[in-house]
Amino acid sequence: MKGAEFLVKALEHEGVELIFGYPGGAIMPVYDALLDSKIRHILVRHEQAAALAADGYARATGKVGVCMATSGPGATNLVTGIANAYMDSVPMVAITGQVSTALMGTDAFQEVDIFGITMPVVKHSFLAKTATELPRIVHEAFRIARSGRPGPVLIDLPKDIANTVAAYEFHDDDTNEQIAEASAESITRAIALMRESSNPVVYAGGGIGMANALDEFRAFIATTRIPVVATLKGLGALATTHELALGMMGMHGTKTANHAVQTCDLLVCVGARFDDRATGRLNAFAPNAKVIHLDVDRAEVSKLRRADVPVIGNLRYALKALACKLPNIEPWRRECTTAKEMHTWDYDAPGTEVYAPSFLKSLSDRAGDDAIVACDVGQHQMWVAQHFHFNRPSQHLSSGGLGTMGFGLPAAIGAQLAFPSACVINVSGDGSIMMNLQELATLRRYDLPVKIVLFDNRALGMVRQWQELFHDKRYSEVDLSDNPDFCRVAESMGIPAFRVDDRAEVSSAIDRLLAESGPVLAHVLIHQEANVWPIVGPGRSNSEMLHQHEVAREVTR
Amino acid sequence: MIKFTLQVRVKQSEGALVRILGVTRRRRFDLLHLTADTTEDGHFLDILMTVQADRAENTLVRQIEKLEDVSQVEVVEPGDAVSEHRAARFTAC
Ligand SMILES: Cc1ncc(C[n+]2csc(CCOP(=O)(O)OP(=O)(O)O)c2C)c(N)n1
Ligand SMILES: [Mg+2]
Repeated sequence: MKGAEFLVKALEHEGVELIFGYPGGAIMPVYDALLDSKIRHILVRHEQAAALAADGYARATGKVGVCMATSGPGATNLVTGIANAYMDSVPMVAITGQVSTALMGTDAFQEVDIFGITMPVVKHSFLAKTATELPRIVHEAFRIARSGRPGPVLIDLPKDIANTVAAYEFHDDDTNEQIAEASAESITRAIALMRESSNPVVYAGGGIGMANALDEFRAFIATTRIPVVATLKGLGALATTHELALGMMGMHGTKTANHAVQTCDLLVCVGARFDDRATGRLNAFAPNAKVIHLDVDRAEVSKLRRADVPVIGNLRYALKALACKLPNIEPWRRECTTAKEMHTWDYDAPGTEVYAPSFLKSLSDRAGDDAIVACDVGQHQMWVAQHFHFNRPSQHLSSGGLGTMGFGLPAAIGAQLAFPSACVINVSGDGSIMMNLQELATLRRYDLPVKIVLFDNRALGMVRQWQELFHDKRYSEVDLSDNPDFCRVAESMGIPAFRVDDRAEVSSAIDRLLAESGPVLAHVLIHQEANVWPIVGPGRSNSEMLHQHEVAREVTR
Repeated sequence: MIKFTLQVRVKQSEGALVRILGVTRRRRFDLLHLTADTTEDGHFLDILMTVQADRAENTLVRQIEKLEDVSQVEVVEPGDAVSEHRAARFTAC
C-alpha cells in the first residue's frame, strides 16, 4: 500500500463521509487513492470555498470538516478558510499536498511553506515525514481538532511520502480524552456569588453549542431563571423566542440586552471570550458586575476581563453543578422581560422598497423551525442575527471572529450536503456573493437545493454605513452600482433566479423561494442607504447605543 | 512593563520552537533572551526565555501551555537554580 492509501484509509476510519477539495500536482496520489474509497469528494471551484464549506459542514453537524488542496496556490487559497475556522473554534482537518521531501526548501515549483504560513491560525499542524506514521497523524489530527476547544489542524503531505509503498499499521489508541471537570471549590464560590446577586445576567457564547451542552444550559436557565444575552455565535443556545432570551448583545445588539449587561451586578459568561464586538469599550463593559466565567479554554479566562470566579472545564458538568434556584432575582427578571416587551422591533419602514429586516422576519416565520441559515458578512449578516429565529446555534452559520465575506455560499453547500433534505438558506450581499460566486457552479453540479437571498443595496453597505456615521459621509470605494445582473449571472450557471424590488412582492417571493425544489436565487433590491440599527460606535461603551431616530442629531453634533 | 523568565519543555517536533516564539510575538511579548537545548534522550527541547510586556505573565503562560506539544511551562523566579544556570550560560557565551 502507498502512503496516500494509508491517508484515505485512516480518514475512512475516522468516519469521514465528505471531503471538500480541489486537485493538483502534489496531491495527485491522494486523488488516485480516493477513486477506490467510499468517501465522497466534493469538487468546489476555488480552494477557499473548500475550506469554508468544510467549516459550514462542521458548524452544522458538530463533526470535523475535511478539506484538501494541492501544494502552493492550492494550499494558500485554503488559508482564509482555515483562519475562519480558527477564529470561531470550528473543528477542521485541512490536508495539503507538498512537493517531494528532497525538493522542500529549494523553491521548487508550487512549493510554499504552508506549515509556516498557517502556524498562527491552526490549533496544531503536522508535516508527514514517513508513510507509516500517517495513520497516527490522521488519528491525532482528528482528536486535536475536536477535543477541548475545537479548531483546525493542518496535515502537510509531501508527494514522495504519499507515493511510498509500505505496510499499513493500523493506528487507534481510542483515547477519548475526558475534559476535566471544574473544581468543587470554583462551583461553591460561583453558587455563592449567584445567591448574593440581585441582578444577574447570563452571557451565552458559541462554546455552549460546541460543547454539546444545550440541554444542560437550558436546564440551568430553567432552574435559575437568569435572563440571557447572546453573542453572535451564542444565538439559539436558548431558543431566540424564549421569554428569558433578551437577544444579541454588543455593537448591533438589542437595547434590552445591552442595558441588562450594563446594569447587572453579576455576569455569568458561558463559553464566550469578551470579543470587542460584543463588549464595546472594554473598560466600560458591565461596570458594576462581578464575573463568573465558564470555559473549557483557561487561556480565555481573565484574558480581557478579570473573572472573580473562573469555572474551568467541561461546560456540561459545570452547568449541571451550578443550576440552583435564585428566588431573589424575580423583580430583576420581570424588569428585563418587561423591557424586552417594550422594545420589540419595528417593522414599519417608510417607502415601498423591500425592507430587509421585515423580509427576514417573514422568511424566518415561514421557513420552518429547522431551517439553516448561512450568511455572509455585512449589514445583511446583522439583520439575520437580529431578525431570524433560531432554536439551536447550529442553525445559524455566521463568520463571527474573522468576518469573512464569501463565507455564506460555501458554508450553505457544506450544510446542505450534511442535511440533504433540510431547508438551507444563504443570505448574502451584493459585495459578499462576488467573493465566492463561482460556487453557484458547485450548487448546480451537485444539485443542492440551497435558497439564496441576495440583498442588493448596490454597496458595501456596512462600510458605507460607517463612512456615513463616523467619517462625515466621506464615501470611499463603497459604491457597487455597476453590479452585474445577478439573475442573468445565476441563470448562466444553471440556477433559476428572480428579482424582487417592491415590498408588495415579498410574500409571493418567499413562497416561490421555499417552493423551489432545487437551488434558486432571489435577487432582492433594497434601499442603498438602509442602515443597521441600533449601533454602538467604535470605541464607545455599550451604554451609548445610537438609535435611528437619534442619529441626525448625534452625527451633526 | 513587566519582565519575566519562562521555562518551557516541548516535544521535539516540526516547528516546535518557531511555534512558541510565534505565540510569544503574536501575544505582544518582546523576547529579550533565549536558550534552547535538546534533552539527553533527544525527545524534548528545553527552552528558557526572558520576555517583557505590558501584559500579565499569565496571558502568555496560558497560551503556551495549550500548545499541543508543550508538556510544561513555568515562570522561573529570579534567584532560582535554573535562572542562575541560565545566567552562567550567558556569561559563558
Ligand atoms: C474578505 C473581506 N473583505 C473585506 C471585508 C470588510 N467588509 C465588511 S462588511 C463589508 C461590506 C459587505 O458588503 P455586502 O456583502 O454587499 O453586504 P452589505 O453590508 O451591503 O449588506 C466589507 C467590505 C470583509 N469583512 N471580508
Ligand atoms: Mg451590499
